[in-house]
Amino acid sequence: MTLTQARPKRAAAPREKARGGGRFRRGEWVGYAFLSPALLLFLAFVAGPFVVAIVLAFFSWDMLTPAEFNGVGNFTEMFSDPLLYTALANTFVFAFASVVTHLGGGLLLAMGVNRMMNRALSYFVRTTLFFPFVISWAAVALLWKYVLDPTFGLVTHYAGEIGVQPPEWFTDPAWALPAIIAIDFWHTIGFTFVIMLAGLQTVPRELHEAARVDGARPYQVFWRVTLPMMSPTIFFAAVVTFIGAFQIFDPVQIITPDGGPDDSTITIVMYLYQKGFQSFQIGYAAAVSILVFVIMMAVTLLQFWGSRKWVHQQ
Amino acid sequence: MTVRTRSRRRVRPARLLLELLLVAVGLVMIAPLVWLVVQSFTEEQAAFEIPPNWIPKPFTTENFTGVPDAIPFGRMALNSLQVAVIATVGSLLVSVLAAYAFSRLTFRGRDGIFLVLLSALMIPAQMTVIPVFVLMRNLGLIDSLPALWLPALINVFSIFFFRQYFNTIPRELDEAARIDGAGHLWILFRIIVPLSGPALAAMAILTFQAVWNNYLAPLIFLSTPENMTLPVGLVTLQSSHGGSPVVVFAAITAVVVPVLALFLVFQRSFVASIAQAGLRG
Repeated sequence: MTLTQARPKRAAAPREKARGGGRFRRGEWVGYAFLSPALLLFLAFVAGPFVVAIVLAFFSWDMLTPAEFNGVGNFTEMFSDPLLYTALANTFVFAFASVVTHLGGGLLLAMGVNRMMNRALSYFVRTTLFFPFVISWAAVALLWKYVLDPTFGLVTHYAGEIGVQPPEWFTDPAWALPAIIAIDFWHTIGFTFVIMLAGLQTVPRELHEAARVDGARPYQVFWRVTLPMMSPTIFFAAVVTFIGAFQIFDPVQIITPDGGPDDSTITIVMYLYQKGFQSFQIGYAAAVSILVFVIMMAVTLLQFWGSRKWVHQQ
Repeated sequence: MTVRTRSRRRVRPARLLLELLLVAVGLVMIAPLVWLVVQSFTEEQAAFEIPPNWIPKPFTTENFTGVPDAIPFGRMALNSLQVAVIATVGSLLVSVLAAYAFSRLTFRGRDGIFLVLLSALMIPAQMTVIPVFVLMRNLGLIDSLPALWLPALINVFSIFFFRQYFNTIPRELDEAARIDGAGHLWILFRIIVPLSGPALAAMAILTFQAVWNNYLAPLIFLSTPENMTLPVGLVTLQSSHGGSPVVVFAAITAVVVPVLALFLVFQRSFVASIAQAGLRG
């Protein structure tokens, strides 16, 4: 079997050399042909725009009058805008809160569902957890605006039933961002949950059993077996959640289009959107987009670097 | 033996409690959606009552007929469908071709190009959207649907995902076909693609969902209501057209319920696709 496999390869090699007199070895052009649609689209919509964004960041341009070279003017202006720091702070708070709540909640829910005995109930819980993730942010954001409404909202009523007076979520600067964090939890937890559940199911049962036979207590099994075995999954979920959360735009733009009370919900992508597509400061917005890129890159590299320390490699 | 019976006796009530707790979580998760659907079938005067009504009484479908009066809902749904279908089919085709080149063909610069593509995964969409907007304006594609699906045709993650999957398909299969005189296109579409069902389904579902739900792109590229897709359409219904809450809820229901029904049908492969993308990526 191995012989017949090897033979056509060997036989083909000299023929390729003999035939391909030109630039390409025989068959090379096929590779480029298969790749060409992807490469053309990549140049037009990813690599090209990436380079153009970097160039634009050094110009001031409103799309109507010709662009003017501005040096690092956009960057100095950007870094002296207090609203940028507000937006960055909000975004980091949001991203950090998402990572903590989604990872913690997702892992707990996955461990719980993984132990459920009743199949129908388990199906119900898995389905309902995942339902909101399927729905578009537009629908979710509109729905939750009403759910949290101070006069006829669901939350308002049931919180009142148990004697809690809920805040006026979207007019109170202290509560607008937490409200968005909660809505994001409802919308996105299904995603983290599914990834955690898949990760849990790759942990061999024998490991748990062996640990228990050796007399480990449940919390010891969790800390010494489950968590280390789950660490690659947890790490992946952390990176994906952070990247997604850092780019949060849809719900904040829909629920608080003006940035919320005291700019308490403006995020960095919303700031970029306002500068680029509402006041048409194209160069300035490009500079902001570079900042977003650099921060995301730095955090991801940091996470990868950290992961080498504590992620358990199999 | 004694240990076992002891732990069993102790675990049973705990397990029951756990199941009840999780079911409660499930009920809380689904409550806003149930409330949504109930309000949209309730007559305007009776909707949004305190305490909340969980049964549509008096029942009406009038709220739904109010939707097309405010926004061209059918048109928007067709636009959404058109963009999502073209983007999904197109990006699968582009990705499958590229993945085949990376997995099965040898040519100069192959690994270098692959690395460049992979590193582009780090570029956030917000960084490319401004130049793409300028490009679309120069191409005269602003306020047209190609502005949405054209950039969606390139999906680096799906190229990477397919390459990984193709690498798990034994090469003996295509070598055998090659000896029989098959070309690369034949091998790709008659051998590799039919063997990649789960991967194709996963990527198709993820792409379709992402494009269907996209809010930023239509917000930036489209302007007239007739060219709009559903997510922005919903928001304009609520904000600028001042639709009454029941009509807004009817519109949300009309968007959400078919998606949820579709999800129930494809739940297994949808959830598997997320898990798969997660575990591989």
